[in-house]
Amino acid sequence: MSELLRTPFPERAGAALKDAFLQQALTIATTKFIDMRRAAFEGFPQGDALRDRARGIKEATLQRLDHYLGQLADNVERLGGHVHWAGGAEEAREIVLRLCRDRGVKMAVKSKSMATEEIDLNEALEAAGVTPIETDLGEYIIQLAHEKPSHIIAPAIHKTKGQVAELFSRALDGNFAADPEVLTAVARKVLRQKFLQADMGITGANFAVADTGTLVLVTNEGNGRMVTSLPRIHVAVMGMEKVIPSMTDLMVFLAILARSATGQKLSSYTTLVRGPRRLGELEGPEELHLILMDNGRVRQVAGPLREALYCLRCGACLNVCPVYRQIGGHAYGYTYPGPIGILLTAMLKGDRSVKELAHASSLCGACKDVCPVRIDIPRMLVELREGLDRGRIAPWSERMVFRAARRGMQSPALFRLGARLGRVLQRPFLRAGRLRRLPFFFGKWTATRDLPPVAARTFSERWRELEKP
Amino acid sequence: MASDVKASIMITCLGDLFFPEVGVAMVTVLRRLGVAVDFPGGQTCCGMPLYNSGYHEEAARVAERTVRLFAAAEHVVVPSGSCAWMVKTEYPGLLKKDPALKAAAESLAARTRELSQFIVEVLGVTRVESDFSGSVTYHDSCHLLRGLGESRAPRTLLRNIAGVKLLELPGADECCGFGGSFSVRLPEVSTAILDKKLGNVEETGAECLAACDAGCLMQMGGGLSRRASRVRPLHLAQILAGGRP
Amino acid sequence: MTTRAEFLGRVRAEMAKTDGLFPAAPSPRPGNPREAAETVRRQLAERWPQALDRFRVEFERVAGVFHRVPSLVELPALLARVAAEKGAREVVGWEARAMGWNLSAALTPYGLTVHPAPAGDGDEDRRRHREDAARAPLGVTGVDWALAETGTLILASGPGRPRSTSLLPDTHVAVFGPAHLVESLEQVGLLLEALHADGGEAIRGGMINFITGPSRTADIELTLTRGVHGPKEVHAVFVDALDGPA
Repeated sequence: MSELLRTPFPERAGAALKDAFLQQALTIATTKFIDMRRAAFEGFPQGDALRDRARGIKEATLQRLDHYLGQLADNVERLGGHVHWAGGAEEAREIVLRLCRDRGVKMAVKSKSMATEEIDLNEALEAAGVTPIETDLGEYIIQLAHEKPSHIIAPAIHKTKGQVAELFSRALDGNFAADPEVLTAVARKVLRQKFLQADMGITGANFAVADTGTLVLVTNEGNGRMVTSLPRIHVAVMGMEKVIPSMTDLMVFLAILARSATGQKLSSYTTLVRGPRRLGELEGPEELHLILMDNGRVRQVAGPLREALYCLRCGACLNVCPVYRQIGGHAYGYTYPGPIGILLTAMLKGDRSVKELAHASSLCGACKDVCPVRIDIPRMLVELREGLDRGRIAPWSERMVFRAARRGMQSPALFRLGARLGRVLQRPFLRAGRLRRLPFFFGKWTATRDLPPVAARTFSERWRELEKP
Repeated sequence: MASDVKASIMITCLGDLFFPEVGVAMVTVLRRLGVAVDFPGGQTCCGMPLYNSGYHEEAARVAERTVRLFAAAEHVVVPSGSCAWMVKTEYPGLLKKDPALKAAAESLAARTRELSQFIVEVLGVTRVESDFSGSVTYHDSCHLLRGLGESRAPRTLLRNIAGVKLLELPGADECCGFGGSFSVRLPEVSTAILDKKLGNVEETGAECLAACDAGCLMQMGGGLSRRASRVRPLHLAQILAGGRP
Repeated sequence: MTTRAEFLGRVRAEMAKTDGLFPAAPSPRPGNPREAAETVRRQLAERWPQALDRFRVEFERVAGVFHRVPSLVELPALLARVAAEKGAREVVGWEARAMGWNLSAALTPYGLTVHPAPAGDGDEDRRRHREDAARAPLGVTGVDWALAETGTLILASGPGRPRSTSLLPDTHVAVFGPAHLVESLEQVGLLLEALHADGGEAIRGGMINFITGPSRTADIELTLTRGVHGPKEVHAVFVDALDGPA
């Protein structure tokens, strides 16, 4: 990923725009997700009120965050689990690695977890001689391809079935048809063995109920259940902001999460983990470890990105974002793509990391519209822009134009002067009443679009005749 | 009675410089509906480009100017969803440090409306007599649709013109790719978004593309012109005014 | 390594800097959850036929296969038919006490090999049952609740009710009765509040699964396929005259 980041964002975006299959895949996938989400909420009149409630629960949780985290930890421990506190990514990785060392873990099966992607856990495990196996089909595919996820809930939508067939055939020494049914069956068979043999299961958590010490996993494939029931150790890596107060609150989120993500009323499996296996229980892990992670989140409790802590990781904002729909997830260059991804990246890696990405938005507001917890993403993007070192990003011609525009907006005399100047300067470029090719910074517009000329007489200049009715 | 209504026009920077004919059409329509129209001089911009690019201190200064300029206006009518949004939702926050200015901003916010909203809500008019004739497809500008929650008023006004055949635009609520400075910071992405929009527009077979925002019209009009399309981009005001635009 | 005190200390330090974004409260919780749950159960006992109708619609909407028999007398023949359709000669299932009826007694007469959950929880039992569950094409369970609003089967794990029964076999069959029906997710929340009110000891296992249809994915070109890791098919058998949980 770091090589990717050395290319400026506009170039990465440009490359994505030229990728014909990616364009087609993005259109199909995002359109499907949008339609499914819309249908789910159309048949669900309580949806809007539940979204308001969900937002309120998230805010209320932050207002007593220390209490709920403490309560969660107490209850997890009461149920026989272990709680670890990780300040940053390295610490979180180290906790997992230490557990692997101490418990003789050779192979770990993973259920889809953006939190573990965020901390690059797989690389650390491999370096330590532990084999991590991604079991979510999309994650398994990109693991074989040595890529990062390109969407928060559908990691491999940028891959064709042909590419997947090729990947599987090479990795598994077979010859598989480019048929999703066939490929799914292959994954089922191969990964089934891994589930049964693995020493450790690693997951994230969609929610953690403070009142009961319950971890909640929302999945569709069954791998979330496998990795938390078959191996002898279960490790859950969770951003600390996923804690919620009660079971009653949990139902509010369950009612809107799957609908927002995939249009389902509920995902195929909602798994409530209540500690390790109990006395008298045949199956389940002997040990449960919950790693509560900060990694830039705690600072936002009082920070400008506080609202981003409400995020449920549903991916709805990606699907409606006109920018994401054109460039896909990889072009963003970080673990979390799309509108919320820009905010999360700033949260995790600091404001400077989104110097370019903060402007990767037309501020259309579609994201805020579909967010189940009504996060005002556009507002926070604008605030990020305010905080960033604006002066050094843009080329001098662009900065000159913006500086002139700023002055013009504050002085009517300068504004009028600007209009007259524009009329004069544009004359050599007028073609049949349009501006088709302009130099410098304006060329960025005219490369693909015509521009109307500054009017021969502005409205203000015409007002004198218009004044009398 | 409509003739008791006085409205001040906020022409917007793009309207003043690039689309004065939209302002003229607005005056025509409002007078036809019996509104007494005035135009406070010295207008520049609502400050949204500054605000969106993160120059909030400067945007606040522009907001302050605007608030003072329209202090005496009974109603302020804007031919642009984004500028109306800026005034109505962002000005009070920008000026919150000074309670008097903040109060003035809140007053202005309450008196300001985008054109279609003014016609339908304040004048109570849903049918404007116009001799415009042709098939029209309507694009929902992001700030009018999502910022001000308005998707019906423009369509109602269009539908009620006898000569207009209103064709629904697939993806009408999808962004046109303008986004202010976004259109030149990320021109390739902006254009890709635009191409999708124009593909939908041309698919409707409509003769005209209507919108309530100068930014959208610049972007979409610029794209239509570049591809020598037969589709005419028009502001709602121009369709309502009718005549030969 | 960060201690709990250090972590929470940092959290508190940040919390002290802000009043939050707006006045907010978590969901109001039942004052007396057990009483509230009792009330709900009584209401559900009267309304179960409507709940069943809704359950069937929603269950079939998520590709579940629904069956109904009048009593436990007709159940074995139905299960044997399903097994035959799936070509299953081996079945794993919950223990008799967990389901309220005996799976071995029901299906052995049909020539099927039944592996009920072992009584013990020793390593040998565990190993053998895991092999059985991984091999058997059919798994039969009861349920704790059948949620009508979404067509969801809710199963808690515990002694005699292994997690794998509804997870490893290709086909999962869940048998339930009127007393298991619940109408809404909200009621489920209430029932969970009640069950946890005493520290959650009423549920003797470490896991509760909400199962809404078969295992599915659309990760390859957004094409829906079933049976990725979990069962490819889920059946629900409603037995009119089945006694529910006490």
